[in-house]
Amino acid sequence: MSTGPYNYSYIFKYIIIGDMGVGKSCLLHQFTEKKFMADCPHTIGVEFGTRIIEVSGQKVKLQIWDTAGQERFRAVTRSYYRGAAGALMVYDITRRSTYNHLSSWLTDTRNLTNSSTVIFLIGNKCDLEGQRDVTYEEASKFAEENGLLFVEASAKTGDNVEEAFLETAKKIYQSIQDGRLDLNAAESGVQHKPSQPGRNNLSNDQQTNRDNCAC
Amino acid sequence: MTLPLSGRIFIANDNICLIFKRSYKYIMYATKQPSLRINQADLQCKEGCGFYGNADWDGYCSKCYRNHMEQARRKKLKQAANAQSGHQGESSKSQVSGFTKFEEKKRQQTDKKTKYFKSLPVFKKTSSAKDIGKPEKYAGLRQSNDPDADKLKTEFLSKYKYLGDEIRRDFLRFSDSFIRQILEDTNVKPVDELAEIAQKRYNVYNTRINSYHLYQQVSAEVRAELEDFLEKYTMTALYTSLFCPSSTNDEDKDLSIQDRIRKLTWVNAHHLDCCISETSLEVRDLVYTAINDLLGMDSVKAPQEKLQCVVKCCRSVVEVLQHCQGGPVSADEFLPALIFVVLKANPARLKSNILYVTRFCKESRLMQGEAGYYFTNLCCAVSFIENLTAESLNMPEQEFQSYMSGEMTTVSAWDSALVACEGMHQLCEHLSLLNNLNERNISIQEEKNKLMEEMNALKEDIKRKVSSVLESTPLVIKPRKSISVTDEKPSGGSLLSNIAIATHNSENIDKTKLTLDLTPCIKFPCIIEDNIEEDNVLKPSLSADLLSPFEQSFEGTTPDDNSILGLSKVNYDIDLSDLSAENSMAEALTPEKRFSPTPSYTPDPFSPVGTTCTITQQPLIPSSVPLQMTVQKEPQQIKDDFVAPFLEDLTRETAEETLLDKIEATPTINLPPPINPIKTEYSGFSKQGWKIPSIPCNTGDYSSLSSQPGTSKQDE
Repeated sequence: MSTGPYNYSYIFKYIIIGDMGVGKSCLLHQFTEKKFMADCPHTIGVEFGTRIIEVSGQKVKLQIWDTAGQERFRAVTRSYYRGAAGALMVYDITRRSTYNHLSSWLTDTRNLTNSSTVIFLIGNKCDLEGQRDVTYEEASKFAEENGLLFVEASAKTGDNVEEAFLETAKKIYQSIQDGRLDLNAAESGVQHKPSQPGRNNLSNDQQTNRDNCAC
Repeated sequence: MTLPLSGRIFIANDNICLIFKRSYKYIMYATKQPSLRINQADLQCKEGCGFYGNADWDGYCSKCYRNHMEQARRKKLKQAANAQSGHQGESSKSQVSGFTKFEEKKRQQTDKKTKYFKSLPVFKKTSSAKDIGKPEKYAGLRQSNDPDADKLKTEFLSKYKYLGDEIRRDFLRFSDSFIRQILEDTNVKPVDELAEIAQKRYNVYNTRINSYHLYQQVSAEVRAELEDFLEKYTMTALYTSLFCPSSTNDEDKDLSIQDRIRKLTWVNAHHLDCCISETSLEVRDLVYTAINDLLGMDSVKAPQEKLQCVVKCCRSVVEVLQHCQGGPVSADEFLPALIFVVLKANPARLKSNILYVTRFCKESRLMQGEAGYYFTNLCCAVSFIENLTAESLNMPEQEFQSYMSGEMTTVSAWDSALVACEGMHQLCEHLSLLNNLNERNISIQEEKNKLMEEMNALKEDIKRKVSSVLESTPLVIKPRKSISVTDEKPSGGSLLSNIAIATHNSENIDKTKLTLDLTPCIKFPCIIEDNIEEDNVLKPSLSADLLSPFEQSFEGTTPDDNSILGLSKVNYDIDLSDLSAENSMAEALTPEKRFSPTPSYTPDPFSPVGTTCTITQQPLIPSSVPLQMTVQKEPQQIKDDFVAPFLEDLTRETAEETLLDKIEATPTINLPPPINPIKTEYSGFSKQGWKIPSIPCNTGDYSSLSSQPGTSKQDE
């Protein structure tokens, strides 16, 4: 089989949420513009907001949607959340307010995505240690209390950016394996798989499952 | 430090309440609490199933909504069936129609479109027993197949020729059955169900293409292409029935959003905190491009084509932002910019397009990829516009209201740029128009001047020519007048009278009458003297000659006796006249002109000029005719005196029979006999000339002699 843009088994849709100016788009760019994945020969990563990664030997295409963080758009951006498998919740460690708003972001995310959606908390701009306004500890505690994954990262230096995305993917993949995540549910289901018959068993199985269900 | 205030905010936000105690120093950064929150209760399904509802589904979740609709439909069907089969009372029937009436009305509209003219019962029947209705359905299928779909079909057939007939046939069979199914259900099922059917069909084909052995050899890319093509083909074919279907209120939504956007024209980039520099020319061009792309969405049919328009629009927006700020564009900036573009574009049937794409585009396409992302953004932008409040623009309610009511108006940079641009544009256009007009005016002026010059030149030329003609031909014009008015008649009269006298001579004509006629005869030469130089030379002699013989003849008492004398005299006289005639010939000035007046001068009894001229020129036959004509009009006495007797006498005269024959045969018939013979040059006459001149000359002299002594003397 050729290694074209269709050479992946899963598509995970991420959304990046958080206040305006916390560095959402920078994180996204940091992640997608990097083409260092040695085992992924295709560099069609030019494709809008996507990158193909490998999770447990499975090629996964990450499709990341940046969202507008302004307060005024909150009410209307719910369609962003539709079908998101992962949500990266970002705040700025140098701006307290962005941290303070996290709870409302969390509420929205919980309300608008399904229960199996993986939410990852990212404290961005950790390179600006001197201006730190939110301690690692309190953020970590907040994440713990709400069952979130948490990491402090820097879009500028690239620290932990990769990890955040990959960890999320792993978590999602885990829940697929566990059966917690229903691949067949198109609406609330967070995952789509392009056809790749004979490529791997899992995808074929899923395919047939879905067909049975749909008809 | 505004501790109490911040504290209050945190309390409201119980999740972060604990932080309140821990870090006071951060409180200063706390801003106001998010106010545009989504209420959880609002999101829940009305049924209370725990899932989230949707406004489009009447607040139900998708599942509950479907159940709800199913129930309603079943109820309706049942009632309709009851009403039909059971022949129930009117009351129950009307109950049914309460709901169905509206539906029916809508369907009728659809019927018109799809040319299905069926009553409601038939409708129900066909949906239950499809076999009956099938032929008609096919007819409908054919009709709703629009040319675009046909084009796509041929495109498909040629493009995928390499796939072989089998696959292509399979594809077409599948797509046609797809189209047929949708068409069958168009008028029966709500659009959401149709959308579901379509989505199912997409999935079925996806399965088919991935599992069916036929497609085993087809590469993944081509498979994806085929799937896309299926969507494109079927949706293009079904566009008229599925876009903005009559069973929905999509159209109302379109109108309301359009109205809304129109009311929001005052919103500018600044209100939206978006960094579009409205005055920059390049940015404006890009915004224009974006607007055009967005407007183009309405003109394409397939969902993916519409999405492509959205993508193009959004890319332009991204470009705008890159232009304005540089660096990667984040959604924080993108969405406001897109809202701005939508506000400025106010696309036609915006809501219909969005709903159509949402319903009939492959779901996976909307959930991922660039198209899905941008489309989602567009949906967000539209819903932001729909729910736009003072708060969402960060402005006081009062200000917002005054803007909305039109009390207050701002001149946004965009508008003013547009206005200025348009003003400049118009200015330029007008300037060029003015220049154009000016040029044309100048050219017209030049033309005018040229024309004037030409006219003047022509005028001068004509003047010159006329004057030269006048100079060269003074003789012709002026004497004519004078002659015609006063002298011609008498002069002619004189000559003719001479003839007449000559002819009558033998018959002893009354002298008194002759005298009357001949009086002007003397005047004639005098007037010629005044005007004609050439004749001036002749004048004295002529007049003298004329007078002299007259006098001489006058002296002679009896005409008969004087005939010999008169002859000699006349000979002399005619020599002179002959000379004058030759002179006039030399002038080459249209002798006819001289004669031409003769017939016109009807009052002239004898057209004498003609006769005089005929002496010099070639004699003219017609002159005789005018002679007669004019003569008839003349007083009786003249006629008697002159013409009639003259002719009669001519015929009568036996002695001059030969002459008469000659006269009649030749054009010289009119020539007064006295003059002709003197022309020695004319051989024809000269031979017989001896006899001819003798007669008239004698008579002329005689008559003149008899009548004119007084007048001739007066002239002298």
